[in-house]
Amino acid sequence: MVIIDNLAKNYGGFRLNVSMEIPNGTVTGIIGKNGAGKTTIIKAILGLIRPDEGHVTINGIESTALSGADKAGIGVALSDSGFSRYLDLKDVICILKKMYPTFDEDFFRKSCAAQGLALDKKLKDYSTGMHAKLRVLTAISHKADLLIMDEPTAGLDVEARNEILDMLRQYLSDNENCSILLTSHISSDIESLCDDIYLINDGKIILHEDTDTVLSNYAILKVNDDDYEKLDKSYILSTKKENFGYVCFTNEKQFYVDNYPDIIIENGKIDDLILMMTGGK
Amino acid sequence: MRIILNNSSMVPIYEQLMDQIKNEIISGSLAENEILPSVRSLSAELRISALTVKKAYDKLEEEGFVVTVHGKGTYVAATDKQLALEARKKTVEDDFAAAVQKAGSIGLTKDEIMEIVRILLEE
Repeated sequence: MVIIDNLAKNYGGFRLNVSMEIPNGTVTGIIGKNGAGKTTIIKAILGLIRPDEGHVTINGIESTALSGADKAGIGVALSDSGFSRYLDLKDVICILKKMYPTFDEDFFRKSCAAQGLALDKKLKDYSTGMHAKLRVLTAISHKADLLIMDEPTAGLDVEARNEILDMLRQYLSDNENCSILLTSHISSDIESLCDDIYLINDGKIILHEDTDTVLSNYAILKVNDDDYEKLDKSYILSTKKENFGYVCFTNEKQFYVDNYPDIIIENGKIDDLILMMTGGK
Repeated sequence: MRIILNNSSMVPIYEQLMDQIKNEIISGSLAENEILPSVRSLSAELRISALTVKKAYDKLEEEGFVVTVHGKGTYVAATDKQLALEARKKTVEDDFAAAVQKAGSIGLTKDEIMEIVRILLEE
């Protein structure tokens, strides 16, 4: 269980200030635009940066005081694997064996073969997709109870993204109690994998909701100027002016479906959430 | 279990999941005491969040279709199929009642309503 209590970090004009919780056995997603503070949160959890204020604890231990053994119990995939480009997979296996006492070499070799990662190819000759797969496989091959992934699917084509998500799904299914924290700006990844979503913008959490609730209760209403005047705006979270009238974002879809049968109502997607909650007025 | 979800439907995913599991139980393709897939494996298979599957299982348990044994899994409960079928019939009746009420509110006569139903049935 990861608890982030009033974490604050200042970078010049940017201030991150968040509190969140990742309970055991859940998949939590952090979404937000580039520069919103997603990676800073991950670095703080891993003890790679010192918080200016507040605390981050993993299973009760302050993240800046995690021992090597504690860290070996976490599977991490950051934007760079950290392996020298002049190594090949055989070298990587030697490193991982030393680093993680619980490293499952057999699983790692089999998964690499299944994902088409050649054992004797230098990492500098890997494609973007192969690097991404290697990062994820590194994180999931030592039976960690907590996986922390910073943009595991960034920059990949749809097929490679799916393969990575399927690896994570398989891991979740094989390790019933493990939790994952991942960041992404690709909303379909979050929708199909995460139980819980935090939307952050400019260093602050602006929304925290179950994925399920977002998909079933949030909606986009499209109304013309006349209808907009008549609309009960009690449950409208944000509104944007468009050529035809207004686009409104609500977290009470059923209310508008029942009371305004004639207006256009579309299911809320996570992309809408980001656009309407960070850009709307 | 064969589940097909429609991601662009207005019906929430957990409800679609519940309906399809119910159908399988009522039709008998899921037998009594049969174990359902674990939450995580079904969520992996359907590519939906585990919480959604959990919600569907919880609601099915509330309605008495399944029983969850802590630490073991979720099983198909001994349901009275007749009763389950009755419950479904009731929802159809409710839908009809709502349609009839709407028809009445815009002034359709009994014969006109019957005519609509006859045309629909012939299609």
